[in-house]
Amino acid sequence: MPLVGNIQDFGLSDFLYLVDRGYKTGCLYLNREDEQAVLFFDKGRLIYASPHEHETLSDVLMRIGSVSSPEVTQSMPPVQLQSALQPHVEEYVYTLFGWGEGEFLFEHGQKPNADAPILPTPIPVENLIMEGVRRIDEWGRIKDRIPSTDLIPRFLERPSEKAKGVKLSPEEWRVFARINGKDSLATVAQSTGLSEFDVCRVVYGFLTAGLVEVVKRQRIQAETRSAAGSGSGLRRSLVSRIIARIEKM
Amino acid sequence: MQTVKMVISGAVNSGKTEFIKTISEIEVVSTERRATDDTSKVKDKTTVAMDFGRIAIGNDLVLHLFGTPGQKRFDFMWEILSEGMLGLIILVDSTRPETFRETNRIIDFFVSYRDTPYVIAANKQDRPNAWSPDELRLALRQPPHVKVVPCVAVDRESVKSVLLDLLYTILERSNEEG
Repeated sequence: MPLVGNIQDFGLSDFLYLVDRGYKTGCLYLNREDEQAVLFFDKGRLIYASPHEHETLSDVLMRIGSVSSPEVTQSMPPVQLQSALQPHVEEYVYTLFGWGEGEFLFEHGQKPNADAPILPTPIPVENLIMEGVRRIDEWGRIKDRIPSTDLIPRFLERPSEKAKGVKLSPEEWRVFARINGKDSLATVAQSTGLSEFDVCRVVYGFLTAGLVEVVKRQRIQAETRSAAGSGSGLRRSLVSRIIARIEKM
Repeated sequence: MQTVKMVISGAVNSGKTEFIKTISEIEVVSTERRATDDTSKVKDKTTVAMDFGRIAIGNDLVLHLFGTPGQKRFDFMWEILSEGMLGLIILVDSTRPETFRETNRIIDFFVSYRDTPYVIAANKQDRPNAWSPDELRLALRQPPHVKVVPCVAVDRESVKSVLLDLLYTILERSNEEG
């Protein structure tokens, strides 16, 4: 069954995250007014993106000026093909982050034609998300996920391993290095000397790529209390009685 | 008589009222009114106060089920409802990705203040265009330890299964805490 929805409600970065973490293979169709985009994925990585579904490899290489005749494409080594196609595909995907509205449809398992401009080495989408989000400078969209600078950023599982696949700028590293699960975004801004907007923009990228989460201080306090066993304590016998009752219903 | 409380939350039209109706032993106390804001685009009538259901566990123990109002302007009720809750069920309409962002806001609200055990019920799994629980977990960016379970809120066995998933989650948490 295809996944369908609206880009306004479930944006490209959300979808790329889903594709990455779900190791999805298939085709994502994006449509807005008279424009269309097609992105093919193989096990969560991008292998092809184009405004035209049935474009061939020689069409693309000739369009971007990498070859002068279709025959040359047959003998092109994979490394050369990758360096010709990848920047072109990446730039195209970044433009799609600017689509504020439109519809998407993801068809599971669908593969491109054999003569399509498929990248010899699929591109990890985390980098695409980071760069795509870097180009977003709308406070409104950032505020949607980071409503306050009192929130505390903290890493999700194995941050260093995940960060290996993502190319961070020096400014992003400055913020990344100061995320400790204790300091708020406002504090991170103070310690890095960056503006609160810049810190939020950088953290929004980390959030979107699934590297960090932002939580309220109360949540961290509640978890600490719970871990220390100082909370009210759940009565196991009481829960067991409810389970027994529900099972019999 | 001891009472314990579970809260059922979710975006407008996620199926909270149906969920409670399906399992409650009493006629659900529901305050439905004609919707007056954007909600009216989705349904004519919606729960503007709350739903209340009840399951007797024994002579000395009762489980209360509270459904939160879906409309944003009743957010203030959430904090009151969440006081002292045993656990939380977040219902998601699996067929409407446009509600996923709102669902995340609701999860953030409840989970940011209290370290409450919760499960996510991927409702309307009987519909042809429903996103699977695995896809919903990714769409809602939930960590692997949070249970995202299939649900059909009008089906009693399905509702029972969701409640049991939550109860086992609470039990596991309780065991971990010692």
